[in-house]
Amino acid sequence: MENVIELQNVNKSFGDFQLKNLTMTVKKGYITGLIGGNGVGKSTTIKLIMNLLQPDSGDISIFGLNYKGNEKEIKQRVGFVFDSNVFYEHLSLKEMVGIISRSYHYWDDGIFQAYVEKFELPLKKKLKTFSKGMMMKTSIAIALSHQAELIIMDEPTSGLDPIFRRELLEILHEIMEDGQKSIFFSTHITTDLDRIADYITFLHNGEHIFTKKSYQIEEEYALVKGGLDLLDPDTKQEFISIKTSPHGFEALTSNKGRVEEVFGSLVVMEKPTLEDIMFYTKKGTVTDV
Amino acid sequence: MYNLIRKDIVMQKKTLWILLPIQLVYLSLNIGYVWIGFVFSIVIIMNAFSMDEKSSINTLLNSLPYTRKEMVSSKYIGVLVFTFIVISGLFIGNLILNQELMAWKEIMLIISLVMIVASFILPFSYQFKSQYLLIASIVLFVIYMVIINMIFHNLNEVIMNFVEKLLSLQTLSFYLITSGSILILFACSWLLSIRIFKNKVL
Repeated sequence: MENVIELQNVNKSFGDFQLKNLTMTVKKGYITGLIGGNGVGKSTTIKLIMNLLQPDSGDISIFGLNYKGNEKEIKQRVGFVFDSNVFYEHLSLKEMVGIISRSYHYWDDGIFQAYVEKFELPLKKKLKTFSKGMMMKTSIAIALSHQAELIIMDEPTSGLDPIFRRELLEILHEIMEDGQKSIFFSTHITTDLDRIADYITFLHNGEHIFTKKSYQIEEEYALVKGGLDLLDPDTKQEFISIKTSPHGFEALTSNKGRVEEVFGSLVVMEKPTLEDIMFYTKKGTVTDV
Repeated sequence: MYNLIRKDIVMQKKTLWILLPIQLVYLSLNIGYVWIGFVFSIVIIMNAFSMDEKSSINTLLNSLPYTRKEMVSSKYIGVLVFTFIVISGLFIGNLILNQELMAWKEIMLIISLVMIVASFILPFSYQFKSQYLLIASIVLFVIYMVIINMIFHNLNEVIMNFVEKLLSLQTLSFYLITSGSILILFACSWLLSIRIFKNKVL
């Protein structure tokens, strides 16, 4: 399977923060979500992929190309979607697009107009009057009008109202229909990802924890609940981390089958949400220290 | 890259429409046009520069198919383009208001001054931020005043005399050496800015 983004042993540190030996890929034709809490390196990863930051060491390639020498070609084929105002505020949408469209070889004004109508974007209003949702729509319309093969979004769903979030997910579905495009986005609102991402990449403390197909996570991970009497040093080994209360324990495992073997029907197993996985993984690393 | 320069001009359109008539007012007040041309050029150049300085705009420009080298180069070519526009405005204004042609020497002097000053403030602004220019110039001014008061009481006169002497020199070799050194200074500043901007964390 072809990779649109490849990171090989990427290291980047500034101040206290460190991205450690990050190796990850984004597959062509799929939606990949990058999840993790605040400050674990999601934005840094996206910035590295955008060439806003350069890695201290390691390789980054987009479409199999390196930024050195291919920067313009890569950027012709990538659409970046921002939810904040990255535009010149005092310009109208029409003026701004007039400037942007000239940069792209394959700009299609027909497509852009169609999206402007679909999203009900005001062409003549100044960009500083746009809401967050409108900004996002503008960004998407621009990304789709230059026929980008890869769409990269940094925290697209944060700060959007639930109605537009649904709309956005639908738009993303439409984009994916021809099977040629790929989407990579970062988020910490994981309920959206349950619905849309084909792959989930989980980052924690600057380290890549896993990249898995969404259904794979369901098959492997389980939230286990049971009585405190079941826990002893041996059985504790089976879990990533455990939360106890006077009434019993709740724990996360990445090996559902094994836990079934060990505890059988003594415990209750539930499907964990991505948030559960994030929460317990974070807790796990904390208690390890 | 042509598009980046075009963008700067389009964005400065409003400023230009406001500043060019003001130029005429200054002209009619009989203020030396070397001074007018120089100040207006620098103001427009720095206005274009500061618009692109916000981190959000850097994000935008960086997501478009341009290299950082091109972003810097567009500003340096912009220096010449805007100076040309300002001088054209002055030339025409002068022709209409005072019915006289601008001396080519004065035109060259404006271009030289703008290029020299831009060669210093652009790398400075890439390294720090253009908003610190004011502070830097105040500091420079204070240093200059201290020098005048403490060490060189007649520094002002010395500089004035030196400039006047330079301007009165008419030899070809003088012009060649001066324009050559300005071009070299400008080119070095250009390369330095590219280097600074390339490694900058945006």
